[in-house]
Amino acid sequence: MHVWDALSSESKIDFSAGENGRKNTSAIAYMTENPNLTRALLARLESLEPISSFENAKVTSIDLGPPQDSPGTLNLSSYPHVTTSSSTSPLVARLLIGADGINSPVRTFAHIPTRGWDYDRHGVVATVRLASRGGSHSQIEEAPKVQDNVTAYQRFLPSGPIALLALPGDYASLVWSTTPEQAARLKGLDPADFAAMVNAAFRLSVVDVDYMSKMPSGQVDELAWRLQATDVPREDETKYPRIIESVQEGSVASFPLRMRQADQYVGERVALVGDAAHTIHPLAGQGLNMGLADVASLVRAIEYSVSHGGDIGVQGNLEAYESEMWMKNNRMLGVVDKLHKLYGVSWWPVVGLRSLGLGTVDKFNGLKGWMMSQAGG
Amino acid sequence: MSTLLAPAACQLPAAIRISTIGSNKAFTVLHRPPPKYKAHVPLTNIERGALAVGSAVISLVHPRRGDLIATLGETTSTPYFIYRLRDAMLSSPTGRRILRDRPRVTSLTMSLARLRTFPPNSVGRAYASWLDRERVSPDTRDNVRYIDDEECAYVMQRYRECHDFYHTLTGLPVVVEGEVALKAFEFANTLLPMTGLSLFAVVRLKKQERSRFWSTYLPWAISNGLRSPEIINVYWEEELETSVEELRMRLGIERPPDLRGVRETEKEARKAAKERRERLRGITVA
Amino acid sequence: MALRHTSLRNFCLLLRSQPHSRSTSTSTPRSSVSPIELSHFSALASSWWEPHGSSRLLHLMNPLRHEFIASCLTSHPTASKHNTKSLRYLDVGCGGGIFTESAARLPSTAKVVGIEPSREVINVARAHACQDSMLLEPGRLEYKHACIEDLALPQKVEEQFDVLSLFEVLEHIEKPAPFLAKCLPFVKPGGWLVLSTIARTWTSWVTTKLVAEDLLRIVPRGTHDWGQYVNERELRGWFGKQDGWGRDGCLRTMGVVYVPGLGWRMVERGESWGNYFFGVRKD
Repeated sequence: MHVWDALSSESKIDFSAGENGRKNTSAIAYMTENPNLTRALLARLESLEPISSFENAKVTSIDLGPPQDSPGTLNLSSYPHVTTSSSTSPLVARLLIGADGINSPVRTFAHIPTRGWDYDRHGVVATVRLASRGGSHSQIEEAPKVQDNVTAYQRFLPSGPIALLALPGDYASLVWSTTPEQAARLKGLDPADFAAMVNAAFRLSVVDVDYMSKMPSGQVDELAWRLQATDVPREDETKYPRIIESVQEGSVASFPLRMRQADQYVGERVALVGDAAHTIHPLAGQGLNMGLADVASLVRAIEYSVSHGGDIGVQGNLEAYESEMWMKNNRMLGVVDKLHKLYGVSWWPVVGLRSLGLGTVDKFNGLKGWMMSQAGG
Repeated sequence: MSTLLAPAACQLPAAIRISTIGSNKAFTVLHRPPPKYKAHVPLTNIERGALAVGSAVISLVHPRRGDLIATLGETTSTPYFIYRLRDAMLSSPTGRRILRDRPRVTSLTMSLARLRTFPPNSVGRAYASWLDRERVSPDTRDNVRYIDDEECAYVMQRYRECHDFYHTLTGLPVVVEGEVALKAFEFANTLLPMTGLSLFAVVRLKKQERSRFWSTYLPWAISNGLRSPEIINVYWEEELETSVEELRMRLGIERPPDLRGVRETEKEARKAAKERRERLRGITVA
Repeated sequence: MALRHTSLRNFCLLLRSQPHSRSTSTSTPRSSVSPIELSHFSALASSWWEPHGSSRLLHLMNPLRHEFIASCLTSHPTASKHNTKSLRYLDVGCGGGIFTESAARLPSTAKVVGIEPSREVINVARAHACQDSMLLEPGRLEYKHACIEDLALPQKVEEQFDVLSLFEVLEHIEKPAPFLAKCLPFVKPGGWLVLSTIARTWTSWVTTKLVAEDLLRIVPRGTHDWGQYVNERELRGWFGKQDGWGRDGCLRTMGVVYVPGLGWRMVERGESWGNYFFGVRKD
């Protein structure tokens, strides 16, 4: 992974697998597209027999069950009853897990408040296709194809970081955090200009990126001229991602960036995981990792509860999950929030200090290894 | 001076960024890298420093040595300053167009014969008559040699070649007093160190000129230089038919007191006084 | 104070053959139960299952009871794994059913019987079980408003129990020996009698009497009689004299300590500090 600061080219940090002290580690982290993850999860669900899933169903309401006074009969008044668009009778949940995103209806049902703020930034995402590296390298020097697209790149621009994360083949996933106005302009560009704009954002000066992002069109032409005028030494070519050749049709989307943390992750017969529990700025790419860690922790709590005869919906039995993850996630939210703020500053003393800091960290492999183990999960 | 720097200081890191890209660790006197453009002379930092000090000292003694002032301008423009000026150009649509087109001001591209036919109040006509009056030519400008970045070298070249248009715009004459006033204006506008260092030439001014500089021209230069947008972004070739007054208005520049006129008047007065003295002496002798 | 809570909640006065200071009643059920204490615990019945209520610490301790029982069941060399629905539990002094319900949910459980002398408390237990369809499966969980002497003595092995539990009961029993003796016939050969209680030591006096009752007053004064607490050594001695109990080293004890911020922790050889588990196997 190669990370650098648009306001100071000397300021960079490289993370390589093997520095983290773990043996037999071939990668810091893996990237996967959401459809792959979803497909794998669905396949796993199908292999577990008693699980029913409801496709193309929307939750229309979540309520507590009706009060039940007659003694000796089943009383589900404390159970969430979930009504969906595809079923006539409500689904009664011993434990309702809210994995339903930042605007979680489950969280609303459980009356769990959240804290946090909106960044005045949008995340622009896209899947892009990479061109092969420039032809000057001889065939012999060329590294094996497999190794060619495995590095993640992130550049901190004053308006927000832009990151390119390797996907299988010649594809990569783009995440660009920027102002809402610029995000809107980017989405309005035609695909060729959009690709040119992304290439510009990784290679050109901040002044050029700023200027070009305000152009209504013509980025392709502007990029061609500026690449020529910008002095990029040949040996630094691998410090930049491969040129983006095209943008996958329909893959460009944007979403507002926010920071949120639910006051509680669990309630009576309710547990929140992922974005429903916490929402994070994407600059460190931790959103999914945190969600997966939530799920792993919640599973541990449920397993413990089941093996000790507990009712898995009872809040007390879910608290192990909350106490394991809440502070941990809170720390991550805080660190990423501070990073966002640190790199949003263009004032030169701050830029100098953060370059010094990043440069120092870059020299200590042990520290980097620790950071990778934190981020890689 | 620190207040002058403040508005642009926030962009300092951009300058550092570019300056480090060109530098090569293996670069020594014995191991000079190939030039990046025609006329380019790659220098080590020590060489560049020595050249800056030398050219500064000699040009103070011989202010007419334009080549030395040019060297001083180039050697002191890095780090930072020339990159700041380049970034200022890249931030402006016109500035970008200039960088893309790379127009050069020479007697070939600027036909004085044609400019003389322009309306009297136009930039082109004023420029031509100014060249005529001061007896200078667009071709008297040296090529940039000591700036490593090719694009920045062009920026310096452009600044140098447009210097005469600044004279046209402000009406300041080529005499030392006029040059010093214009350099002060340029310093406030471009922040190029050489323009600031040129102000040391103020010590060479006569007492009366010096007091005029402090009381009139320096305040004018600073307020106008800071207030107006970057003059480097004027596409002069496209403004030749614009009226000087209109361009000055657009750039928000007030015309300074007519230095040539003031000096003429003074000269007249001195001459009259001298004649009076001569006459008196003649009378006494007689 | 935490310790005090624990023993308070699961209170069950089952045997008081010769009451001194407290008035007794033999009306319902048959055995001698102090009406004062009964009403005291009946008043607490409604908060028994509140997630952040006063019995929170007791809920937190519950998983450790299962871990202790599991360690007992697997300790005998001939022990087989209880993966199938086979185990029968008798929870004596079951209170609101914290342990009773959890035992009934375990996959290895065939049946659980919980008995409790307070009508209010057993009603809370019954009502709460209605919140879980699993517990309503026929034969899985049965509550009885009864004392141990109300139960008919088992006539055959199938009527006996694999686990007889006495959680936080013994410290309320004035004459524990005859009470324990009444429990013994209900345990199946190879089954276990498992209990938790408080040792009669200066540390338990500080926590349960001085702090809980006198200083913080979270427990009404006089609820507990420190003199009634039973030490592990006394239990060990008593069972040593019983024929057919605790052979092959099948008499196990384990201290259990509440650490604020960490929760309950089992501590080996910590049985004299305060709360402890005790388990003994019928040969």
